[in-house]
Amino acid sequence: MSQLTYASIDQTVLNTLSTPKRYYWAIVAVLFLGVLVGAACWTYQIFVGIGAGGQNNPVGWGTYLINFVFWVGIAHSGTLISAILHLFRAGWRNPIARAAETMTVFAVCIAGLFPFIHLGRVWQVYYMLPIPSQRLLWPNFLSPLMFDVIAISTYLAVSSLFWYTGLLPDLAAVRDRSRGTRKKIFNILALGWTGAHEQWRHYTRGYLFFAALATPLVISVHSVVSWDFALGIAPGWHTTIFAPYFVAGAIHSGLAMVLTLMIPLRKIFNYQRIITKEVLENVAKTIVFTGLIVGFAYATEFFIAWYSQNSVEIEQFRWRAFGDYRWGFYFMVFCNTLTPLLFLFKKIRTTIAALFIISLIVNFGMWWERFVIIVGGVAHGFSPHAWGLYAPTMIEYGIMLGSFCLFFFFFLLFAKHLPSVSMTEMKETLEHGGSHAG
Amino acid sequence: MQGKKYIMGLFKDEDQVVSTLSALKETAYKFQRVHSPIPSHKIMAALDLKKSKVGWFTLAGGILGLISGFALAIFCSIQWNLIVSGKPIISLIPFFIVGFEFTILFAVFGNIIGLLTQTRLPSYKGMEYYDPRCSGEHFGVLAACEPTQQDGLKDFFKQNGAEVQIFD
Repeated sequence: MSQLTYASIDQTVLNTLSTPKRYYWAIVAVLFLGVLVGAACWTYQIFVGIGAGGQNNPVGWGTYLINFVFWVGIAHSGTLISAILHLFRAGWRNPIARAAETMTVFAVCIAGLFPFIHLGRVWQVYYMLPIPSQRLLWPNFLSPLMFDVIAISTYLAVSSLFWYTGLLPDLAAVRDRSRGTRKKIFNILALGWTGAHEQWRHYTRGYLFFAALATPLVISVHSVVSWDFALGIAPGWHTTIFAPYFVAGAIHSGLAMVLTLMIPLRKIFNYQRIITKEVLENVAKTIVFTGLIVGFAYATEFFIAWYSQNSVEIEQFRWRAFGDYRWGFYFMVFCNTLTPLLFLFKKIRTTIAALFIISLIVNFGMWWERFVIIVGGVAHGFSPHAWGLYAPTMIEYGIMLGSFCLFFFFFLLFAKHLPSVSMTEMKETLEHGGSHAG
Repeated sequence: MQGKKYIMGLFKDEDQVVSTLSALKETAYKFQRVHSPIPSHKIMAALDLKKSKVGWFTLAGGILGLISGFALAIFCSIQWNLIVSGKPIISLIPFFIVGFEFTILFAVFGNIIGLLTQTRLPSYKGMEYYDPRCSGEHFGVLAACEPTQQDGLKDFFKQNGAEVQIFD
């Protein structure tokens, strides 16, 4: 990082905003097509009913909820990087903070779509709002599902505002180096930011409070998501370790997604001098840590099932390891806990291809973890005669494809139209090794 | 302020800005502000700035949020006044989650209100005496003087190692 100067940082980042080539628009178009597939599947489901999905009795929660938890999880590492590592003054987070925050905002938006999709009669979503209806029904705030509505809405609002606040000085920097329509747009977006000392005085303080508020929020959000399950009495769900287990898992998957996004971004935009190997290595080290936590949680669940001598719980976990969805369980253990251990070898965590492949493996494993937890709990409950299986339908696969395409579609648009690396924080790293230090 | 001349000294080095600021204090020129691409501790210390009041807005928002969250949950539950499984109608423990999330949400809203009111954004007035290089690699010290002192202020900045930008 020593060869970097303020000018070279600006130049590198501003180069990424040059007019996109045709292949960029071709990829964007393909992703948009994927989004249309998802939208078409959802429209079809709205017309024919929720039965278009594979949800059944007993498995009432399928891929819609799996994807909901998956995307909320992906969102978490953005806040870890932007807020928690900011409070810890970890300078290595600066090159990736902007992209990770953006990932958070998009992932929460997509996660927020799934409860709507899962509702079936989506137009009745207003039942969750605290407004008087003709039947004088009010939301029941004893329900973890209502906690979830509040938590996810709060998270979306806070992460979007945090993201925009962090972006403000960079919007001004782009404004100052643009012409024509782009200058006009960025002039409005930058709100008249000039970097005057009075602005910085309040900004640094406000940013610090943002980070301090986002930190407990991010922990609470996935804890609340975990309580959607843990407050139910289904075996495999009703456990007190769910909150920390889910939070660690969320950060684990989110960090993997950070690598999945950053590695191509680094290559395409020539960010090698900004997003250095050391930065990626630090993400990899954190993945080892979170992988060990989720591994410990997997083991604890089995231990508690045995230690409690509760026959239903024992059967649930025997079935998890040897039953119909055993492959999902093997995927999650192999991909989330064992594979990241390869990062203990310096040679592997400093090899870009290995980092990328392992990040994909972890993403895959984390999706399966949600499958095992969500479907497994209700598929193999208390009464053997109520056991059942579940398989997603093509409609569900279409919606899932649409969600992934929507995420990458948004991210690609962002990467080419807004600064994907925080120029301000990179300059601060050169100067003080910190970021927006208040 | 009418009739005054505004001149900006543009520096590439933070330390030069700090020394120029202390030298400026000894002169008759009127210091206006410093524009910088990054928040600088050294510059803030040299200007002897007070702590920002943004935190009070954040705190007020947080308190309002805590009260609102609990109030909403309690209000909704007493609208349906039916005891289920012996649980109290007003169950403070689960309502704490609503209170907590609202605390964070409203504190962030307070923080934003604090930021906007204290930094006086959005406002494009500051752009009048602003050099776009200040969002790149330059630190700009803006000072005002009488028209007769214009050359003196220009020389002052030059002597301190700055490029000079004169605003009409």
